[in-house]
Amino acid sequence: MNNALTDSSIEHPTISAIAASARDAVKVYDSAAGAVRALDGVSVDFARGRFTAIMGPSGSGKSTLMHCVAGLDRLTSGEVSVGGQDLSLLSDRELTLLRREAIGFVFQAFNLLPTLSARENITLPMALAGERPDGTWLEEVVATLGLGDRLTHRPSELSGGQQQRVAVGRALVARPQLIFADEPTGNLDSRASGEILAFLGRAVRELQQTIVMVTHDPVAAAYADDVLFLADGRVVGELSDPTADDVLDRLKALGDEEVSS
Amino acid sequence: MTRIALQSAWARKRRLLGAFFAVFIGVSFLSGALVLGQTLERNFDGLFADANAGTDAVVRSATKITTDGSFQRGPISAATVDRMRGVDGVAAVAPYVEGYGQLLGKDGKAIGGNGPPRLAASWIDDPDLNAYRLVEGRAPRAAGEVVVNRGAAEAGDLALGDSTTLQTPAATRVRIVGIATFASADGFGQSTYTALSLATAQQLVLGGDGRISSIRVKAAPGVSQEQLVARIDHALPAGTHAISGAQLTEENTQDISDEFLGMLRAFLLVFAAIALLVGAFSIYNTLSILAAQRTRESALMRALGASRRQVLQSALIESLLIGIVASVAGLAGGVGIATLLKALFSAFGGALPDGGIVFSASSAMIAIAVGVLITAVAGIAPARRASRVAPIAALRDSAVEYEGVSIMRALAGMGVAAAGVAGVLLGALAGAGTLVTALGSVLTLVGMLACGPLVAGPIAGLLGAPLPRVSGIAGRLARDNATRNPRRTAATAAALMVGVAVVSLFTVFAGSLKSSIQDSNGRAFGGDLAITTPGFGGGALDPRLAERAGALPEIGDAVGLGQGAARIAGASEQLTIADPAALARVADLDVAAGSLSGLGDRELAVSSSFAENNGWRTGSRVPLTFSDETRDAFTVAVIYDNAELTGDVLMSRSAWAPHAGQDLDTVVFLTVAAGVGVPAAEAAVQRAARVDGSPDVQTRQEFIVASAGGIDALLGIIYVLLLLAIVIALMGIANTLSLSIHERTRELGLLRAVGASRRQLRAMIRGESLIIAVFGTTGGLVLGLFLGWGLVRATADDPALNVFSAPVGQLAVVLLAGAVAGMLASLRSARRAARPDVLNAIASQ
Repeated sequence: MNNALTDSSIEHPTISAIAASARDAVKVYDSAAGAVRALDGVSVDFARGRFTAIMGPSGSGKSTLMHCVAGLDRLTSGEVSVGGQDLSLLSDRELTLLRREAIGFVFQAFNLLPTLSARENITLPMALAGERPDGTWLEEVVATLGLGDRLTHRPSELSGGQQQRVAVGRALVARPQLIFADEPTGNLDSRASGEILAFLGRAVRELQQTIVMVTHDPVAAAYADDVLFLADGRVVGELSDPTADDVLDRLKALGDEEVSS
Repeated sequence: MTRIALQSAWARKRRLLGAFFAVFIGVSFLSGALVLGQTLERNFDGLFADANAGTDAVVRSATKITTDGSFQRGPISAATVDRMRGVDGVAAVAPYVEGYGQLLGKDGKAIGGNGPPRLAASWIDDPDLNAYRLVEGRAPRAAGEVVVNRGAAEAGDLALGDSTTLQTPAATRVRIVGIATFASADGFGQSTYTALSLATAQQLVLGGDGRISSIRVKAAPGVSQEQLVARIDHALPAGTHAISGAQLTEENTQDISDEFLGMLRAFLLVFAAIALLVGAFSIYNTLSILAAQRTRESALMRALGASRRQVLQSALIESLLIGIVASVAGLAGGVGIATLLKALFSAFGGALPDGGIVFSASSAMIAIAVGVLITAVAGIAPARRASRVAPIAALRDSAVEYEGVSIMRALAGMGVAAAGVAGVLLGALAGAGTLVTALGSVLTLVGMLACGPLVAGPIAGLLGAPLPRVSGIAGRLARDNATRNPRRTAATAAALMVGVAVVSLFTVFAGSLKSSIQDSNGRAFGGDLAITTPGFGGGALDPRLAERAGALPEIGDAVGLGQGAARIAGASEQLTIADPAALARVADLDVAAGSLSGLGDRELAVSSSFAENNGWRTGSRVPLTFSDETRDAFTVAVIYDNAELTGDVLMSRSAWAPHAGQDLDTVVFLTVAAGVGVPAAEAAVQRAARVDGSPDVQTRQEFIVASAGGIDALLGIIYVLLLLAIVIALMGIANTLSLSIHERTRELGLLRAVGASRRQLRAMIRGESLIIAVFGTTGGLVLGLFLGWGLVRATADDPALNVFSAPVGQLAVVLLAGAVAGMLASLRSARRAARPDVLNAIASQ
């Protein structure tokens, strides 16, 4: 059954400077209290080989934007593309294949399958595709993340930081075009957070990865090359090579007291 | 707190559906059994009251000989009628004759099929005293004129003026001059009724004009039934007694209730018990999972100041609520089942009396009480677990995994299981008695259920081992999921296990019974052909058929076996009637003492077990009472070991003849003459038997197979009902799966996010369901086989059940069905797991 997915008809996109982009992205949720415009015409490009952070208060649409660009959720109108591929044209099967081959994920929690060992979790996308992992690359990733002696452990036997490093390993090992990280340090203490963010930074600089990270933490955002600010479903600002103080100042300047917690 | 419990139950109503259905089905069957029983009893009571409305008293023989649930009364003297006429207070008197009479239909085949009585009787001209009402034509007057009941006429495609054959069992040509109904019904159940003139009936059924079966008496105005009976009593000859019309109705209702209704009710109740037992596991399982999923909520309540008792109460209220709602719904379902079954019986020609469904408060109370109690008991353990949650769990990231199985429980479970297995083994191998076997069986079941969580992990892993090779990572994850929570896997499989265990126990038991019967019949029956009446008996052959067949050139020997009854040493016994010398040539009864061919007119042949129970040897003198009130002493002359063909007591035809009202054969055994082929002989016998309504002519092999055919029919009905128990168990699996899926939504979302296709998710869920189903089915098969073996071995002394036989084919079908059904049970969950919105679960953490 895996074969059916591997020989799909997805075109491999040509290398360009843009890894993913959104054009006039609108996402409307129906809720009991009426329609909510989580995204209200967002247009943005995520540059290849860059580490981009998306920031904004609770309800600003930052997570929605990421989920739509990553193909986890669909837009109400507008378009998103990854590697030049318009996601709205893809079937569920093709989206699955795109996620498996071109995109890596790191979530805040529930990142790992509890019944699989650390190594099995890292190689899960390959197992799902019915492929063998590239041995040397796997060892390099594992060594970079410092997980060498933890590979046979189950997630319940790992610390929160170690679990998150396994998740990063899983995202890296398939060499995706793009990695999405959704509050990857939200559950971690500052030391473990620093480690994870440093790894993400190294992946961009040394392995030429493209990473998009959603965060509400100015310190985390400071590890990124670019910061994108969202409020009320719109892009309200950008910052390059930021420091934590820059980010904090900008957030304050946005006049929004409700920075999420 | 109650309000919170109710609100929380309402909020989870979809997830409680599984538990609801489990209770609902069990209670439906329970109340259906109760309601149907009461309804039929009331309906029959009304029918009999109607039929007996004009009869104030009945005079009949006081001697009643009951064997195997049926009974017979001897005839009384016809002279008694005149004595009754002279009694003061008697307005009218009608002599009545009733006996066996098979009516043939237009096609020359016997009407009535299996089982129900086929009666020939005398027509009573006084409509007040006759239970049957003429609806067409007139009463029979001359010999050869008959009235038949409408049901029989329709079944045999007979109309007024048609001629046909009545066998009593000698064949008589008769013409239908009237059609009658039994009170308002087309007949009394499925039985056929052929009424002749009194003189003809006496001649054909009782063999002479001096005897009648009973007398129906009508009271003069102003004389009550009790007064009438009291006055008649003084005039009665010895050996007869009188009962009132009301007592007759009560007796009729009681008889039908004991025989037909009792069996039906017992059947439905046993099934209801199994359904409720299986259902209890589903309830327990659903509530356990809900309690586990609610760990954080319970902990939050505790943290906010709820006492442990309040949490416990809240959980108990929820299960009580399910119990009450489902039981009340089950009650309605029960009325539906009763109505449906009644309609089904009617549709298959059951001819049940008219009348609405009787719904009494007592049935309602019993059904609801049982349903609520079972739900409450099944809910106690999960509720206690919920109440033991520490408040701190509210703050933890909820890893909703059960703690492992406690050492105490493991040891206790293994101890109980070991004791149970030892009991079954002792019963089977050391002859410790069936009580030990029964106790051992129960302990084995309990022990196995207790040990389930211990072995569920390893066994599920073993069963799931081939899956990764078949469906890759999806199979691997399916196996992991089936083994990650052994307690849940075990509890889910337990319901299926119990259902399958009962099915396979029945299969093994029936298979062994069948093999035993065939085995001993095969050893006993040395003939080549047999003439039989279809069904479970009740049918009869003319004894002259054996003579006619024996005279055919193609046939060597022929012996007819008839049935009689007598009170032997105080107890009613069934007798087999045959010509001993002819029987000895055709059948081998494993004679242990004496010579069968020399059995005399004042002598009996008895089975060795019967002789042993009564302490008799050859030469023992035994007092007999026949239904015609004669008493005589017989000598035990022959003792035989194989009682399968002839039962416990064998009497010569010449000894029985003076006491026989009607001389009937139930089967004729034949040997083929030297040099004649079996097919040729069979054809010859078939031609000779044509005038007897073409009874079945079977070869030796056919007879041996057919002799156990009744078991297959019975097993068929049992299977249908047990299938329902398995469906309940599968609903339990489906329910557990869907709750597990709900619990793992985020995991599924993660899998989808990192590239699992929908097909892979579906394969994963299917695999998990398959493992659980095969686990439960295998456990049930092993348990059922073991207990069936123990039971059969424990009764090895009984010649009726001394061969152990496990029908491999049928058991394989059970296993396969379990596996397929397991896949089916996962359909809904698999579809849900593959829905795109699981992706949102990971998006909206």
